[in-house]
Amino acid sequence: MAIKDILTPFTAWKKVFNEPVTIKDPFNDRPGAERYRGFHKNELQTCIGCGSCEEICENEAIDLVAVKGYETKNGDSGLRPMVDYGRCCWCALCVDVCTTGSLTLSNEYTWVAENPDEFRFVPGAENKAWDKNELGWKKPVPNYEFYGQKRVKMEELSPEERDHSFIEIIKGYSKEQAQLEADRCVECGICIATCPANMGIPEYIKAIREDDMEHGLKILYETNPLPEICGRICTHKCETVCSVGHRGEPLSIRWLKRYIADQVESAEYKRILGTDGIENNGKTVAIIGSGPAGLSAAHYLSLMGYKVTIYEQYAKAGGMMRYGIPEYRLPYDQIDKDINYILSLGVNIKYNTKIGKDISLAELRDKYDAVFAGTGLHLGRSTRIPGTDHEHVYQAIDLLNKITEGKEIHVAEKIVVIGGGNVAMDITRSLARLQNQKYGKVQIIATALESEENLPADVEEVIEAREEKAIINPGWGPQYIEIENGKIKGLHVNKCLSIFDEEGRFNPKFDENNKNFFEADMIVESIGQGMDIAYITEDIKSELEFGPRGRIVVDENFQSGAKWLFVGGDIIQGPDVIHGIANGHKAAYGIDNFLKNK
Amino acid sequence: MENIIKDIQNRFEVSDIVNQRDNITFVTCEKEKTIALITHMKKNLGFKHFVLMTAVDWIEDGLFQLTYILNNPKKKLDVAIRTFISRENATMETAHKLWKQVSTYQRELKEMFGIDFPGSPRVNESFILEGWNDIPPYRRDFQTKEYAEKTYFPRPGRKTNDPSEYMKKNMS
Repeated sequence: MAIKDILTPFTAWKKVFNEPVTIKDPFNDRPGAERYRGFHKNELQTCIGCGSCEEICENEAIDLVAVKGYETKNGDSGLRPMVDYGRCCWCALCVDVCTTGSLTLSNEYTWVAENPDEFRFVPGAENKAWDKNELGWKKPVPNYEFYGQKRVKMEELSPEERDHSFIEIIKGYSKEQAQLEADRCVECGICIATCPANMGIPEYIKAIREDDMEHGLKILYETNPLPEICGRICTHKCETVCSVGHRGEPLSIRWLKRYIADQVESAEYKRILGTDGIENNGKTVAIIGSGPAGLSAAHYLSLMGYKVTIYEQYAKAGGMMRYGIPEYRLPYDQIDKDINYILSLGVNIKYNTKIGKDISLAELRDKYDAVFAGTGLHLGRSTRIPGTDHEHVYQAIDLLNKITEGKEIHVAEKIVVIGGGNVAMDITRSLARLQNQKYGKVQIIATALESEENLPADVEEVIEAREEKAIINPGWGPQYIEIENGKIKGLHVNKCLSIFDEEGRFNPKFDENNKNFFEADMIVESIGQGMDIAYITEDIKSELEFGPRGRIVVDENFQSGAKWLFVGGDIIQGPDVIHGIANGHKAAYGIDNFLKNK
Repeated sequence: MENIIKDIQNRFEVSDIVNQRDNITFVTCEKEKTIALITHMKKNLGFKHFVLMTAVDWIEDGLFQLTYILNNPKKKLDVAIRTFISRENATMETAHKLWKQVSTYQRELKEMFGIDFPGSPRVNESFILEGWNDIPPYRRDFQTKEYAEKTYFPRPGRKTNDPSEYMKKNMS
């Protein structure tokens, strides 16, 4: 044995006064590393209960449970994740997929409890010691996302390409674009409850990913028999709650719906949807109005075997979808595609037939087993300011109607539109096109009581109108129309300070010291529409109940006080196409129940 | 680093050179030349320290990627060598004769990916998965969730809700 071997152990003594490297109290002195993956934290206020964490967890460690203080509302299921730490393997996929970024992992990894059930809890709801830990695993930002944050851009005609004609603006997705866009969906289903028709959105988006258009079409028709139409002009409330929208741009749900419908030829519909040879059940239903509510009711009633007859006052079917919405947003051949399929189910339409004039409601009651009325809002409302009785003051809805019918309308060189909703944008943009055709330039101003940020029209409508050189000048209240020698000179307006009073009633206040004048030789009013239910005669009216503003009271199946009469669409709820479709669908089931139990 | 890469490019035709950082470079080498390359780097280029070896399952391409990371302690440089082997009957020449501890990595890769290293000591013994009776779990065709469902019982009293159904019920 060498002397070195004897002395070596004693060399350790030279470290006797050094700082020890061991830890005295490992539970308190040894925190997890900066990005350690310890117990979960969840900001419950930010979490929307979309369930992506549950879905991605390979160990089934996460359940979604109701948590006190969090209610179900648009865009928030009210559920929150509960973690079973008997199964969690701390992989943090739940954090990485989280759509809102509310879920993170703390760097706390030690915790002792005697009861194993305590290792199942809702992070963020139980005041755990690590809830305030700053360190731990968070989704790295940027460039660490499981799904794309940006929408696949929709190609559209440039303002110069579109402002002279009524050609459709939106070009639609290619297969590659649609699949890329569909790939961004996390399939959480938060959107479904917000869609008035409760469409199976994640499932049809999945069909796009899998390139199974037949399945996609079937899913669409389960809840919506007008997919070409809705795929173009739906108000897409679903997109406002899309969970992907919390950290990026929401899915283009509307365009994806359109993509599916666009891919399938009309001739294939009956085979794909299995609607050849539906058995007639011998019962008959009359429908008044061929708008979205009436068509939807007709579609679902036909599937159930009812013989359906629609009464339509105009020469063509579609209601506001055809006579209100301009062709550049919704081409007529696409309306026809949806409607012709519904007609192919055996639905009969009597065109140019107005109830109350050509045939009475009582006659329908006696002739059919049940009646559905979806007559919509067709009467333009007037501001009734001085001058509105002039011959060149028009209602937007009447002009849009005439444009659809191909009739010539008066187009002045300078026009003012009163109104800030989608119909106002529709007439503004339609007239701008006609001005371009007639005068080679656009001189149209749309003005509304609402301020820029409160305009009821869709944002894209306002943007596109401006691109087409229309002037949108909101925040003014119309006072009177100046007329000189029988000719319109323009519209006098005052700055609008507020629209509603303290009780929430419509009672606009104006600033008398802030006036403006919009020069014009033609004025169009577009401040909303009213219903015309003159066809409901007094004897039938006496059976009905009326709510605020003369609205007919119906139950959840859209059945009125007169049991044989069901009412839906814009005159009950809306106004928009998708509510009409949903109403018609529910009413169809209501009518079926009513007639089965009769 | 540049000279080292040039040297192994000339001798072993390595490709796909990626300078990850100043002191770490990734190269790709053919399967048959890989062990010779590693031997050369250890014996002649000062890469005396074996850092780790690992695998990636490129199931779509029918390949496993093996990555060996070597370190030159004097020059403080890392070179990572990638090689691709067929996923079918995946086999690779053993490197345990260069560093004893390689056999432990190879034993783990045999268990987790099913890649065989004939001649590597104890390569067929369980590493951490005693009594494993399914396909190797790091293969991407291993269905983790399915396995968890059939193997482990759910804790009694667990209940969950589907967000969209729950919302439809509460919002109608």
